[in-house]
Amino acid sequence: MRLLIAFTTAAIVILAPVVASAHAHLDHASPPVGATVSTAPHDLTIWFTQNLEPAFSTVAVTDSAGARVDEGKPRINGNTMSAALKVLSPGTYHVHWHAVSVDTHTTQGDFTFTVSGK
Amino acid sequence: MPSLLIYARAVHFAATIMAAGIVFFAVCIFEPALRGAPSGALAATLRRRFAWSAWISLAFCVLSGASWFVLTATSMSGQPLSQIYSQDVLWTVLSQTDFGNDWFVRLVVACALGGTIVPLLSKNGPTSPSLKTIAAVLAAALVGSLAFAGHAIGAEGAEGIIHPVADVLHLIAAAAWAGSLVPLALLLATAGQDSTSLGMARTATLRFSTLGIVSVATLLVTGIVNTWYLAGSIDALTETDYGRLLVIKIVLFFAMVGVAAINRLRLTPRLVADENAKATQRARRALCRNATIETALGAAVLAIVAALGTLPPGNHLTQHAAAGAIPADASFQHIHGEHGMADVTIEPGHVGTVSAAVHLLNEDLDTLVARQLTLALTAPTPGSKPITRSAIVDADGTWHVGGIALTAPGNWTVAVDALLPSGKHLKLAAPIVIDPK
Repeated sequence: MRLLIAFTTAAIVILAPVVASAHAHLDHASPPVGATVSTAPHDLTIWFTQNLEPAFSTVAVTDSAGARVDEGKPRINGNTMSAALKVLSPGTYHVHWHAVSVDTHTTQGDFTFTVSGK
Repeated sequence: MPSLLIYARAVHFAATIMAAGIVFFAVCIFEPALRGAPSGALAATLRRRFAWSAWISLAFCVLSGASWFVLTATSMSGQPLSQIYSQDVLWTVLSQTDFGNDWFVRLVVACALGGTIVPLLSKNGPTSPSLKTIAAVLAAALVGSLAFAGHAIGAEGAEGIIHPVADVLHLIAAAAWAGSLVPLALLLATAGQDSTSLGMARTATLRFSTLGIVSVATLLVTGIVNTWYLAGSIDALTETDYGRLLVIKIVLFFAMVGVAAINRLRLTPRLVADENAKATQRARRALCRNATIETALGAAVLAIVAALGTLPPGNHLTQHAAAGAIPADASFQHIHGEHGMADVTIEPGHVGTVSAAVHLLNEDLDTLVARQLTLALTAPTPGSKPITRSAIVDADGTWHVGGIALTAPGNWTVAVDALLPSGKHLKLAAPIVIDPK
């Protein structure tokens, strides 16, 4: 039993310093999350912490009235998801992303960015 | 749905490891142990039992694999089970996702392995040495390829190579050791009662002992690599469901190692020593019993592995600074805003009376202090009025609201209004999915 406790303690101590990944979470975005940009972007790009499955990962960008301002199905390459945007007028835009990582897990989230037009 | 997935995964892991383990046992232990021994009725009986065990395992492997595939397709697509057959979802998952491609290859490998089991475990045994090699390679491929359906894939850089390789080796070693325990117990229960078959039982036990040492060493090293990448931190090992289950798995693993050590250091020498016939038979029976105990412990380990794959790994805690892992039946939403973020957890995430927890974070992922917080939930039906409640904060800075009655499934809207110490309001809103009851 003492051997077992020693082994288990050793195993847990050995495992202390760690870096990790699994499940795709938002890493950063362009335009940045919550940012105010002066010129209207032509694309929205989101970088995730894991590679995505293109077949089931989506993003929707809507204006303050709830109308879609993205051009439809996003381009997905590894851990990035990009959507072409229509010509954006000044205002706040809402981004809703739905990511399915290659390890089959789904995550989703929301953020906004603002086009000031100044 | 997650509980069904855990059952499917548990059966699939156990059946795959059994099928592969029986093949490994036949190729690496049983057939070599028969060399020089009078092969005949006993060998034929054992081969027939191994063949039946392998066929039953393979059948469960394919059926549980199909269940796992369908359940994963529903989760990936977000479609209910009744819809995925009519919307080409299964074909899309099979043909366009890494998981589907892996499953297709594994089905082909399972069929090919079935084809090799027929001659390998036929009455007279394998006639060609290359058949044994092919069978062992297919068994390794069937169990090792499970790594590509789990948390080991998806990362970039060195981790994207090291983690899957470690996971493949971990699975093969688990099959070689745990999967061989059942055929070993079968062999020890059947052979060794008379002097002619005792030699074969001794050789098989010694060969299994060597295979066990190599497998345990591989499991230990690759297990440390896997945990390094997935656990997150000491805190995550103790404070998340993932971490706690992982600790139980490690304890069970060492319990198996403890039993294996008794077999290796005490019982195997007694079985091999040619001193006392009674002591030899006692050792044989004890080894058989211990192999059964180890199999039961191994089954418990696999049940934990099945649950671990459906939980967010412990590193999620460090990435989001949430106060714990997300419960399997909860709905979770991470909302970004200009001045802060909120992790909103609704538990259970389905229609009925639920409780909500909100953790506010700043851009550095530290807890954001608020003076008061109001939570509003709006049903998906048009014209619904929001359910608005004041939240109570706990010692960790997480805000709680209990006893909320959610009456309809679908995309609800969750809105958080937090009064910050500066006097400003942090207002965040996002959709959150509530499942039917």
